[in-house]
This record gives sequence, structure tokens and C-alpha cells, in this order.
Amino acid sequence: MLGNTALKELILSTYRYRELIWELALKELKLRYKRSVLGFLWALLNPALMMAVLTIVFSTILRFNIPHYAIFLLSVLLPWTFFSQSLSYAVDCIVGNGELIKKVSVPKLVFPVAAVVSNIFNLLLSLIPMALLVLVMRHPFYSTWLYLPVPIIALVIFTLGMTCFFAAANVFYRDVAHILQVVLSAWFYFTPIIYALDFVPANLRWLFRLNPMIYVINGFRLAIYYGMLPSRQSIAASFVCGTIALIIGCAVFRKYQDEFVFYV
Amino acid sequence: MSDQRSLVPHVAVRLENVTQRFRVIQERPDTLRELFAKFFRHQVSFHDFDAISNLSLEVPSGQMLGVIGRNGSGKSTLLKIIAGVYRPTAGHVHVEGSLAPLIELGAGFHHELTGRENILLNGLLMGYSKEEMRAREQSIIDFAGIGDFIDAPVKQYSSGMHTRLAFAVATEVDPKILVVDEILAVGDASFQQKCFARIDKFRKGGKTILFVSHDTAQVIEHCDRVVLLDKGSIIADGEPAEVVSFYKSMTEPEMATAQ
Repeated sequence: MLGNTALKELILSTYRYRELIWELALKELKLRYKRSVLGFLWALLNPALMMAVLTIVFSTILRFNIPHYAIFLLSVLLPWTFFSQSLSYAVDCIVGNGELIKKVSVPKLVFPVAAVVSNIFNLLLSLIPMALLVLVMRHPFYSTWLYLPVPIIALVIFTLGMTCFFAAANVFYRDVAHILQVVLSAWFYFTPIIYALDFVPANLRWLFRLNPMIYVINGFRLAIYYGMLPSRQSIAASFVCGTIALIIGCAVFRKYQDEFVFYV
Repeated sequence: MSDQRSLVPHVAVRLENVTQRFRVIQERPDTLRELFAKFFRHQVSFHDFDAISNLSLEVPSGQMLGVIGRNGSGKSTLLKIIAGVYRPTAGHVHVEGSLAPLIELGAGFHHELTGRENILLNGLLMGYSKEEMRAREQSIIDFAGIGDFIDAPVKQYSSGMHTRLAFAVATEVDPKILVVDEILAVGDASFQQKCFARIDKFRKGGKTILFVSHDTAQVIEHCDRVVLLDKGSIIADGEPAEVVSFYKSMTEPEMATAQ
């Protein structure tokens, strides 16, 4: 029930304030690349250069017994980067807009939504150098790339839920932003990103399967690296995890949003 | 946020038994460590105080209402409740029609963005559409009179330019209700005149205006009715001249002792 109203409010205010959300997201992007000579090109160059570095490291220095390891890694590193960047940046979205919240009546949900939207832009752009890398390394360019919108949607839902939760929590305790960094780096190593789930000792795998992120990013590696589609169960699991995160995140956010103005 | 209950058409703003309670925590714990430390030592001390207590007020549509009172009497809190920034602890708030808050003008401005970009963002924040803002952009720029600076980042503006642009955005969007919190103290005489000319135009156009000011002469000159706030309650309500003279009789003994 609570989750239902929270989701309904999220959808309604996102729709009603779509223009505002769009402009806020654009503002973030503009500010991120303002005063740099290359401007928006950085959104493309940044992931491209990161990929180049990782590719060189993993094809010369650290060699794993996985063919085209760089693609294996990057196919899930990109969605992970979206997730962790959205969160680390959006955890501050209410506090950072405090001056505004104190003076204008505006649905607070627009801030986390806009923060995630601006990062979606970066995620989508990073797929371009990803595709280039696939071509350069002569990895097969699978038609399963067309399936990517499905895991992207699940990823965005999951990220938005987590963002709402952390942004709300950070209003009351500023420690949250710092704790988040630790949580994110631990989470990174406990998610099969630099390795595959098969590397984990069989008797521990059930533990790793409790990690929702595994389902959310699974589709990316399958589609880009293996040229396969995830099983129905895996797709369902990713959407279930996403929706649960969104319901909890929104419900918490909604419960406390009227208090924000007194704490920012 | 205001209730959407149906209203008698001629009432623009209605507050029923509104209380706004603030919890003042002495040294509010800002971090978890402090919270735990204080919690275990039973040191979390606070007191509640009502910035607005059990206040009822009805503002008919088309009225210019002045709100006066000493510092800390609850004037700004009252405006923020009406503007929907605070959700009151108790009571009901009904606001009929669009409302433009002129509370600390330019609050929605982002310093790195240009004036033009800020016009759009500010308008969207107040709930107007992109199309509406584009249509009004030129008249906003004209009223603010900041010329070519419109395409420079707002951080390069003088404080006067900042205020002029903010006032122009807030009033050009044609709100039904205007909430003005002591903003006209800034800006030079000619701009103040321009602002009052616009406020008078609003009055003649049948808009509702809530006006907080410490300048009692301004209040007498422009308002139809004045309420005097003290400790979160209305202690006088009526003819501007009468309420102002009552307010003066109340504050004069204090001023005499101060001198």
C-alpha cells in the first residue's frame, strides 16, 4: 500500500515536472563540462580513455585466462560506473539544493530523478567507445546489443530507488555520504565485475546470489560479451530487485520529504 | 503543499488553526557519532517552540495584505507556510490559484548559469512550462533592464541586477497570488519605484498580495489591510494606519529604553 502510493507519486511528479527534471539534468551536465576546452566531448572521452587504460593493463600486464578480458570487464563496469556515480553524486542532491528547498515549494523527488537522468546520458554515451572497443579487438559484435534497453531500464529503476533512499538519509545524517563510499567499494568487489561468478567457490555462490546487483548487471555482460540473452528468471530477478529498491527508496523519501526543509 | 479542497471563490488564502512547531535542538547532532554519543549519555536536549501558534487567517482575493511585527514574530514563517515551503505541524492551509513566492529573491538562481538559463529554470521551479517561459523571456529581460548581461553567468551580476532579474521572473509569470518578503529593501530608488508600480498594477488587476515589510510607511501607503504578528499569533488586524499606530505604541517604550 505504502509502496503503491510512493510509486504513484514518483510517476505523477516525474511526469508533471518532466521539463524541470530535464532542465535540472541538463544544468548538471552543463556545469560538469563547463569551462573545459573540450566540453561535452569529455562525456565521450572520459570512458574512452578509461577503457583504453584498462585494455592496455589487462592485455599486457595482468593477463587473465579469459579471452578479450577488457570487454568481459567493461561490459559490466559501465553499468556499475553508472550506478556508483549516480549514487555518489546524487546522495547530496537534497542537501546541495537546500537553499532552493527553503524558498520554493517544489516536489523534492525531482532532484534525485534529475540526478539519475543526467547520469543516464553518460551511460548511453559510454556505449559508443564500448562498441568501438568491440570492433577494435575483433570481438564479435552480437545482435544481442539490441537487447540492452531491457537491462538498462532495470538498472535505472534500481539506481533510482537506492538514490532516493541515500539522498533522504543524507539529509538527516551527513555521515551517509561517507559511509556510501565504503559501501560502494565493498559492493564493487563482492559483485562479479572483475571476475565471473564461476570463480567463486561453489559453496559460497548462494551468498553472492543474494546480491541484487548481480541480476541487474548480468544482462549487460551476456549481451555484449557472450552474445546471449539472460534467462527469464534472471530478467525477472533484476526487475524484482529494481522494483523493491524503488518502492523502499521512494517510500522512505516520501515519508521524510516534508522534514527536509528543516535539516538542509 | 496546499489542500485541494474546494473553496468559496473569493477567498485566495485561508489558514485554519495553523501551528508551525520547530524543534530546536541544542547542538543538534549532525553526525551519527554525535548522535550515539549524546544518545548514550542522554544529552540530546531540545525544546519545541511554535513559530506560528494556532493562527487563522483569511485573505479575500484581490486584497493587499501587509504583515508587520518584530523580528522573530513569525512573519517569514507565515509566508513560507502559505508558499508551501513548510508543511504546518497542525491546521489547514488552502491556497487558491498560482502563487509566486518572492522570498529571498533569486533563491532558485544558479550562479554558474546565465541569466537566460536561470529565467527558464526559475520559471520551471515555480511550476510554469517551458513554453510559457520562452514566451515571457523577452519581457522579463526588458523589465530587469540588464541588457547584454542576460547571457553572462549570474555570478557576474551585481546584487542589484540579481534582484531585478529575480523580481522580473517572479512577477512576469502572472501569478494569482504574490508573496513578497521584504525584498524591496534592496535595489535603488528607481527600481523600487518600478517594483511598486508593478505591484500596484497587480492590485488593480485583482491579484492577491501578501506583503511583509518593516517599512511602516510603505505598508500604510500600499496595503488594504494589515495584520500584526507577535509570538506567532495575530494580535491586531484591520485598517493599515490603525494597526501601524498600535504597533508603534507597542514598540516605542522598548525603543525609548534602548536609547
